[in-house]
Amino acid sequence: MSRRAPALALLSRYGFLAVFLGFFIFFATRSDAFLNTSNLVNILEGNAILLVAALGMTLVVASGGIDLSIGIAIDFGGWLAIVAMMDHDVAWPLAIVVGIAVGASVGVFNSFLVVWLGVSPFLATLGTFFIGGSIQQIYTSGGGQVPFREMPEGYQKLATGDTLGIPNEIIVGAIALMLFYVFLERSIHGKRIHAIGLQRSAASVAGINVRGYLWVAFIVASATASVGGIIATAGLRQFTPLAGFSYLLDAIAAVFIGASMHPQQRPNVPGTLVGVLFLGMVSNGLNLMGLDFNFRDALEGLILVGAIALAVSQRRVLGRSGASA
Amino acid sequence: MTTTVSARTPAGAAARRVLHFTISRGPLVVFAVLLIYLSLESEFFLEWRNIKSILRQSAPDAILASGLAVVVMAGGDDVVVGGIDISIPAAATLGVGLIADQLVGNTPLLWAYLLGAVAIFGVGAANAFLVVYVKLTPLLATLATLVASVGLYRWAIDNRRITVLGNGFVNEVRDGDFLGIPIPALIMLGTLVVVGGIAHRTRFGIRMQAVGGNRSAAEIAGLRPGRYLAASFILASFCGAVASIVLISRGSGLSPGIEERLLVDMVLATFVGAAFSPRRVVTVPGAVAGAILVKALGNGFQLIQVDLFKIGMIKGVLILVVVASSALVGKLRQ
Repeated sequence: MSRRAPALALLSRYGFLAVFLGFFIFFATRSDAFLNTSNLVNILEGNAILLVAALGMTLVVASGGIDLSIGIAIDFGGWLAIVAMMDHDVAWPLAIVVGIAVGASVGVFNSFLVVWLGVSPFLATLGTFFIGGSIQQIYTSGGGQVPFREMPEGYQKLATGDTLGIPNEIIVGAIALMLFYVFLERSIHGKRIHAIGLQRSAASVAGINVRGYLWVAFIVASATASVGGIIATAGLRQFTPLAGFSYLLDAIAAVFIGASMHPQQRPNVPGTLVGVLFLGMVSNGLNLMGLDFNFRDALEGLILVGAIALAVSQRRVLGRSGASA
Repeated sequence: MTTTVSARTPAGAAARRVLHFTISRGPLVVFAVLLIYLSLESEFFLEWRNIKSILRQSAPDAILASGLAVVVMAGGDDVVVGGIDISIPAAATLGVGLIADQLVGNTPLLWAYLLGAVAIFGVGAANAFLVVYVKLTPLLATLATLVASVGLYRWAIDNRRITVLGNGFVNEVRDGDFLGIPIPALIMLGTLVVVGGIAHRTRFGIRMQAVGGNRSAAEIAGLRPGRYLAASFILASFCGAVASIVLISRGSGLSPGIEERLLVDMVLATFVGAAFSPRRVVTVPGAVAGAILVKALGNGFQLIQVDLFKIGMIKGVLILVVVASSALVGKLRQ
């Protein structure tokens, strides 16, 4: 009995990983191409933008909020970096800084609304979402693409180049992952942000600078998301207005999948990584199975519902029997 | 310190009251000023023909927002861990797709609409199951069913536009009037009476609000929160089913992708509508009023030829005015 209990506890904690592994094996048996190194690298590379967006979201959700405007930060980051290079002949490394700074300003606006005015994060960032979308439409004649064919090679290499044989997108994603892991899970600042998310008033009483950390969370989240936008424009050599919205729901899903794996249901960096990889793997695997495009989307949605429900419910059942044992 | 002193003196207290009044009535004043401005700028704005078109356009948003309002009331207004249902527009679109598909295939009207309703209630039941039994946060649960609904309808209709032509009932709901009032507006009113009545005027509704206000207190008082939460998702899918009837008529079928616009407008209407309640909380009548207001402003700005792209900006500022005012009122009360 005592020997089984830890095993159960382990299984309940890593229930989602079991689901993950199950799908991995399933896809590997259904398609020969799935296990190819180049395909696995593809999955990582194709989801680097989602990963950086989801990391930013993890930080905000850990602080007890949510950020519906990460799509806007993604759009603005890539857009303004391109505009800086195209219309103002700014050198590409500086253009990246410009893009990130503009992305961060979206976070400043959010923080102003949330921290200063006391608006709930959901509604504040929803307002930002509407306003940011409108600004893009106004300056792109309703959402016309902004192509930039003569993009500097260095900028383009962000998305298309390799360093030591590793695609640069993966390197950017890995660096962001490491920084977020150290900051949110291994530093005192991360502990404080989690404390704020768990119980804001208690954190405040304990002497934590709640307002300061909320500013940091929103600004860092937006700045990080804008890195995703910069990669996206580098890969496509153009800016597509309002394209960032497509990452919002996936980023939220990844964060909450990650949270469902945590013992206290907290959003966490490793969990978010698993969430992103799961979403990327399912979409890639279904793709390789050669299913009809529309059927694939339907199946992807059902798998998302099923996998999350299975992982969470199985964990509750096992958790209960583990406790009684 | 200074504020406590000034609040004690009569003049300070009066100033405080004026400030409180201005901020708390701020959104309503802003709305009124905008509407008056628009009616002065465009003579057509307040013509019955235009009002009818505003009502017709706002019906789907208002009906969907009524459903979201119920879920927010039952789950609590913390959007991240409290009540939210972002799957209603996607479920309604799934219903519209199935109905359109059946109507094109000459299925009898009643069966087609019934099939659509069954699918929409299926999504609502899935939400209730995931939130109440699996204990997922509503945001994640309804996000997952949203993705599934969108995938399912795109698959079911092959992701192409379905046009329903020459169907008497569909056309009647789209263009018809009854006693001079557009039929979608009457359906909207009917939803308001039924859903608003249940949520605000019945014992069940009051208990549901109690669960949303303080779940553990409600539980200690002998209520079973799970039941009320589940019921709120089912009521939301009822709204989704009603909305699908209006939506298939408005679009004369289904154009894939309509759910995205509906989602943001539903959320906007629901939370802007909080400005109409004395306690700045989400209510069903508020959600309906919010939907009409947002459409009326959009329509008015289009009439005076404001760039269509700026209307998103206006929507964003509107929601910030409402929520910032209620946040400031909260701060003043402290």
